[in-house]
Amino acid sequence: MRAVVLDGIVLGLALGLLGVGMTLVYGLGGVINLAYGQIVVLGAIVTSLVMDEGVSTVLAALVGVSATVGVAVLLDLTLLRPVYRQHGEERILMGLLLTLGAAFVIGGLLTWRYPIGALFVNVSGEPVSIVGVPLARGSVWASVIALVVAAVLLLFFGVTTFGRGIRSVIQDETGSRLVGINPSLVRKVVFALSGALAGIVAITYSMSAPLTVNAGFELTTFALIVTVVGGLGSVAGAFLAGVLLGIVNAVSAHYIGQYITTIILLGTAALTLLVRPRGLLGR
Amino acid sequence: MRATAEPAGSTPRRSARVAGYAWRALLPIAAVAAILAVLPPLWFGDSPFTTSLAVKALVFASYGIGFNLIFGSTNQLFLCVGALAGIGGYGAAILSDRTSLSIWAGIAVGTASAAIVGGLLSWIAVRRSLGVIFTGIVTLVFSLAFANLLLGQRDLTGAETGLVLTDGAVKLADDRVAAYYLFAGVLVGCLIVFRVLQLSHIGWAFRGLRDDEVAAELAGVDVARYRIYAATVGSAMIGLTGALYAYSVGFIQPATYAFDQVDVRVLVLTAFGGLGTLLGPVIGAAVFAFVDEELSSSLELRELFYGIFVISIFLFFRRGVVQTVVGLFNRALARGRGKPTLQPSRE
Repeated sequence: MRAVVLDGIVLGLALGLLGVGMTLVYGLGGVINLAYGQIVVLGAIVTSLVMDEGVSTVLAALVGVSATVGVAVLLDLTLLRPVYRQHGEERILMGLLLTLGAAFVIGGLLTWRYPIGALFVNVSGEPVSIVGVPLARGSVWASVIALVVAAVLLLFFGVTTFGRGIRSVIQDETGSRLVGINPSLVRKVVFALSGALAGIVAITYSMSAPLTVNAGFELTTFALIVTVVGGLGSVAGAFLAGVLLGIVNAVSAHYIGQYITTIILLGTAALTLLVRPRGLLGR
Repeated sequence: MRATAEPAGSTPRRSARVAGYAWRALLPIAAVAAILAVLPPLWFGDSPFTTSLAVKALVFASYGIGFNLIFGSTNQLFLCVGALAGIGGYGAAILSDRTSLSIWAGIAVGTASAAIVGGLLSWIAVRRSLGVIFTGIVTLVFSLAFANLLLGQRDLTGAETGLVLTDGAVKLADDRVAAYYLFAGVLVGCLIVFRVLQLSHIGWAFRGLRDDEVAAELAGVDVARYRIYAATVGSAMIGLTGALYAYSVGFIQPATYAFDQVDVRVLVLTAFGGLGTLLGPVIGAAVFAFVDEELSSSLELRELFYGIFVISIFLFFRRGVVQTVVGLFNRALARGRGKPTLQPSRE
């Protein structure tokens, strides 16, 4: 049981990062980035291609993360420009459909060029014992990275002026404009941040299991569920929801079975939307 | 509403006008029916391959009309077309497989279940006043859950191996031309229902609530009720088509009704043809039958082109191709005559 819960936490931390990447972009202007899973996959494929050239893992990971940052910013500069010119539901709907299109383009290109592409970061070393359960080195590293990133993010949003500026845009775009914050700059930074998180998730995810080229849709679904349960626009909520859902996923998959588990996860998301639409920690 | 808007005329003249009105309203449907009727003898002859492609296009056109009624007319983003069709298909298949009921009873039950589920989803969305986006997420979640249910309930659904339909399927699956005419009939039926709803007081309510929900509510339109109507009727169309499709192919598996196989296509082709227009889904389905045929060699390339399609439609043809073409046509005519003669069917 303890081993199962621990596995769930490892998965949950990765899911949390995924959720944060999606929730930040949503909070900023109501765009749900349906291409998010595909961006993660893109990071994984780029990293694995660079690793195949014989470059060290850390350097390859950096290249992968920069690729996802680049794609995310590019998405903001090109496709989402006209979306942010719209308002209200029109904006939400257009964002949804255009990012869905982007998801097909990225996913289609990747599966076409690299049909068997996959990333597996092999971390060597003895398993580490945590609360009496041996945990693979890769999982430990993945969790440590996720926790560090989470701490840095929470500090960034809580303490630094720029981080607070971002939060103010999330809370009230017009108000933040009035106090001298440039929403378009903030948007670029948030997209870069969201892209970086996608790259990091690609690396940490592939430390415990291979990340294959067709995982995009599943990753987007996971990110969406985590975001919805955590509360759209809430960073801490996304982390909390990620860890909780990770534990639920591991426990239920171990004791009940995978199909029912997926239904439970999806049901949780639907129920959250119906009972508490603002999520666990949403405003 | 229309009765009060019209000036009171003498009864025979009025009924003649109404008849003329109805005739003009049904003219596009009659044209579609005529084209569909002459296609097999004139074009595909007895090629089973082309006929199968045509059947698939007809099926997707009918899905599209159902989706169009729900999303295009009342702004409820139902991302569960595949799941609703699957409820119809699996419902009919399991029922006629497990019991001694005839296939028509199975189809009726499948259609009714899809209608009820669609109505319930809409009721939930309306009661919790989920906007477009949350309706989209809830229905997306529902379709993913449904797909997992199909995979999990191996005893009933056969999971990935699929379900072979024995009786009734034999007739339809062997005779492709009969299947073609069956689905052509379903399509024309759906078009007529769509048109009649558009012209009745329900259509007025749809237009009102789509343009401005609050204003419609204030003007006395029961927004909740009309949304649920649209979802129920649209889901019935989708469920019926899904159930008939199951019998026409004789074999169903989760992929037959999967989100990426059905919903994505329906969304793309309806948006291509024009959301909320009568013939939009039909034109979209016809165009995409050709596109699919061209791209059938590579699934990945097809995904890529779908993506490019979706993006360019929503960037450049916001109102759909039908509306854009009609708009251009009107502008060209207006230059000659001074006023538009061809109205988009949505107005």
